[in-house]
Order: sequence, then structure tokens, then C-alpha cells
Amino acid sequence: MERSRRLVRLAAHLVLIATAVFVLFPYAWMITTSIKPIADVIAWPIRWIPRTVTLENYAAILSDQRFLRALLNSTIISIVVTAISLVLSVPASYGLTRLVRGGGRGMLLGILASQFFPPMVFFVPFYIVLQAVGLLNTIPGLVFAYLSVTLPICTWMVATSLRDIPVELEEAARIDGCGNLRIIWSIVLPIAAPGVVTAGIFAFVLSWQEYIFALLYTTSERAQTAPVLMFYLLGQHQIDYARLMAAAVLLSIPIAVPFAIIQRIYRSGLTEGGIKG
Amino acid sequence: MRASPTLSGYLFATPLVVVLAAAVILPALYNTGLAFFKYDATRDAWRFVGTQNFTTLLAQDGFWNAVSVTLLWVAGNVALQLVLGLAVALALNAVVSLRAFYSAVVMVPWVSSFVIVAVVFLWLYHPELGVLNDMLMRLGLISQPIAWLASPGMAQFSLILANTWKFFPLVAITLFAGLQTVPRELVEASTIDGANRLQMLRYIVIPLLAPSIATAVLLSAIWAFNAFTLSIIMTGGGPLRATEVMGLYIFKIGFDSFDFGVAAAASLVLFVAILVITMAYLRVADPARGAKG
Repeated sequence: MERSRRLVRLAAHLVLIATAVFVLFPYAWMITTSIKPIADVIAWPIRWIPRTVTLENYAAILSDQRFLRALLNSTIISIVVTAISLVLSVPASYGLTRLVRGGGRGMLLGILASQFFPPMVFFVPFYIVLQAVGLLNTIPGLVFAYLSVTLPICTWMVATSLRDIPVELEEAARIDGCGNLRIIWSIVLPIAAPGVVTAGIFAFVLSWQEYIFALLYTTSERAQTAPVLMFYLLGQHQIDYARLMAAAVLLSIPIAVPFAIIQRIYRSGLTEGGIKG
Repeated sequence: MRASPTLSGYLFATPLVVVLAAAVILPALYNTGLAFFKYDATRDAWRFVGTQNFTTLLAQDGFWNAVSVTLLWVAGNVALQLVLGLAVALALNAVVSLRAFYSAVVMVPWVSSFVIVAVVFLWLYHPELGVLNDMLMRLGLISQPIAWLASPGMAQFSLILANTWKFFPLVAITLFAGLQTVPRELVEASTIDGANRLQMLRYIVIPLLAPSIATAVLLSAIWAFNAFTLSIIMTGGGPLRATEVMGLYIFKIGFDSFDFGVAAAASLVLFVAILVITMAYLRVADPARGAKG
């Protein structure tokens, strides 16, 4: 019996190692390609180990003004969406879970349910509305579109993390004469920090990587985001994969760093009510 | 006198509800209305046409092509992700050492950007310079390079594989969380009774895991219904529309042909279809029944 348990464990390790290779290989290949000189990238059979390592692909992509502009646009949009999502969802979650008697749960479920609409439902109406108010091809226009996705999920994440916090602390603060805003700021935020940070990172990452809305509503360089620019790099007659992979590495960093830091928090919060990734 | 807590509670929620109404509820209602109007792109004018957009839609080959492509796409993704996710969840449950490390690694695809998944797999699948063909040829499994995205069947499979890479972590973690609720003693007892491991899996673990499996299938299916970033970037819906899933089809009607009314109608049909399928599914396989999914 002890022996068969050890065998099962060994098999489990083998499955997980194979999975790790499956999961990590695309990234390993992306990074390898990005530091290869172009002659090695187009060699066949493939030169697995590059003869020399170069940063020329990064230099090329980082000297492309359009790419830099797109990076800046993506950064601004992601930060603004994150800020608005949190400023709206934290007080709302607090109000609904802590102050409203009885009815709060129904409204929370309603807010969560609004993420059930498939994105295709919004393609045409957003386009028409953004055009009508002059926000097509602008950063605020795209921010507005992203809020439709981030707000329900952020509210749900913050509300879920609030549920686990005992109300006694707030009651004590209330007796000491603290108002609701003061309670949110100095009691709820510090204790609910993991949930709030997770919600913030979710909003940031969603905006950073979103592609379809960005493709539909930003056709000029003025507001174009980095993922859309990647699509244009692909559309060129001769695709320079080394440069494309360098761009992919650069775009992965702002996602990888926060996730590496809060990986544990994220894992525990993620199965709670998230339909859209 | 101070406002009652309930009133101030709703007050705190008001800004969010207003923005949500403007960004979600009103556009969704507007879209429903637009489905009954015909858009004339040349004159930028709308005309009420009743249900004509729906009859136009249902008469198009492209629509029925998208229906069958989408069903195949969803079924393929759910099946592949479930098999892979279950294997990984069981393995994670069985190991003691390195579990935190493995689960962190497994989550990598889930937090990857879709566009990056698309361009990296495009590069892996490259017919002349792709590393996948190189590997298979070195291993002697194939003698000629495979054109991963060039034939209809192969392209659909290649996209499902890439999407599975991206999505199986959520299935694995959902099932792993479900496994934590299977009592260890039950499993141990059946081992002593002489039940072999596969029977144990089949008759004890899987039934107890049913609520989590139901949740995972639902998440994976809804995601697959909505996702078309891979198709639009990697194949553009081709070859021969073999990868033109419903989302991409709607995208094309709306923004290649500027047939806004028909696009709105199609999105409405998709929405109702997903809603009905989900409701029916929840009646049959209720994730809330038994352990928390």
C-alpha cells in the first residue's frame, strides 16, 4: 500500500512536469526568439541555441514611435480604468454589504449578472454612441467600454472579500464617531486590501490586454493600444517574428510582475463569480 | 437626524449603478432595439424593418456555418480542457512537495494576454520556421512539415489547442478546489477495501466532484462561446470559414459589411442562445447542489 502510494505520487509529478513544460514552452520560445539575431530566427532546421545573443530586436521595437505611443496609450487607459473601477466599486460594495438591510444581496447579484452579456451585444451600440458623442478613437471612449466589463467583476471581488471581515471593528469605530467614508478609508480598505488589490489588478490586466473593443473603437494612432498595434505588425507583408516576439515580451511584463507578487491572493479569489477572464 | 444605514448604503452604490446603467444596461437595451432597424451605411440612416434582420440572418449560409463552427469549437474546447484540467487537478491533489510551485506554473497561461497567446502560437505553428514542426520531425513523428492553420480541420484543431492552453488552468484550479472537499478517509477506506485506483476515480471521486465539474464546464463553455481573439488574429476565420466562430461572424457583419442591424440581431440571437443553454444546463447539472462549486 505504501509502495503504490509512492507510485501514484511519482506519476503525479510526471504529469505536472509535463504540464509545466507544455505551459512554459511557448514563453521560453518567445523569449529565445526575441534575443536571436535575424539569421538564426529564419534558419531551418531550427537553431535551438542561438550562436549569439542580441538585443537588436528590442532596440528596433523600442525605437518605433508608433509602438511607444501605443504603450503610453495602454498605460494611461489601464491606470484610469483601474482607478475608476476601484473608486466606484469599493464604496458600492461597502454600502451594499454593510449598510443596506436585506436588499443589498439582490442588487449585488444584479450587478454581477450584468457581466453575463456577451461582448458582441455591445459592438454596435458602443460604436454608435461613441461616434455620436465624439469619443470614437479616443482614450475616454475606450475607458468607458472597459468599465462595462471591469465594474461588475471588481464589485463582486471586493464584496466577496468584505464578507469575510468581522463587522465588530466597524461598529467600534462607529461608536467612536467615525463616518462611513472614514470607516471605508481607515478600516475597511486596510483589512480588505487583498480583495481590493486583486480587483485592481484584474481591472488593470483586463484593460492592458483587451483587444476586440480596442480594435473596433480605435482606428487611428491617437488612441491605439499596444495589442492593436501588434495586429498591425502582423499585417505587414513580411512579418518580422523576432521583433514581434520582443514586443510580446515587453507587453507581458506589466502582467507578469503584479501576478507574480499576488499570485496567491489571485488564485483564491478567482473562482468567485468571474465569468470573463 | 442622520440618514438610515440602508439609505446611505444605496447612496454609496449609486455612482456605480449609474455608470453601469450607462455602460451596460442601456447599450444592451439599445442593441435590442437596433436589431429591428435597418442601417443604411451610405446615407447613415436607420429604418424600422420589424423582424427582417432576423429572417435575413437565418437565411445566410454564413450564419449556419458560424453555428456549426461554434458548436464544434465549444465542444472541442470543453472536452480537451476537462481532460487536461482533471489530470492536472488529480496530480496536484496527489503531490505533497512542490504543490505551490506547480499550481503557480499552471496559472501562467490563464494570466497571459490573448493577443500574446495568438502571436506566440502563430509563431509556434509557422509552416516553414515553426518550432512545433521542427520538434515533431526531430522526434521522427512526422516526415513532412504540417500546415497547422492551412486546412479547415487542422486549423480548427490548432486553434482549440491554443485556446485550451490559455483556459485549462481555470478548469484545473476549479476541479482542484472541488477535490479538497472529497473526504480523504473515504478514499483511504476504499483503498483498504481493495478498490483499485481507476474504480475509485470512477465511482467515488468523480461523482463527488460532479458539482465542480459542472461549474468548470459552464465556465469553459461560456468563455469559448464568447472568445474569438484567436480566430481573428491567427486565421481571420479561414480557411474556408472553418474557424469563423459566431463572435467573429458578428464582428464581420457589423464592421466589414456595416450591416449594423443584422449584427445587432445576431448578437441578440447569440445572447438568448447562451442564456437558454445555461438555464437548461443548470437545471440538469446544478453546480450549487452539494458542495460549493
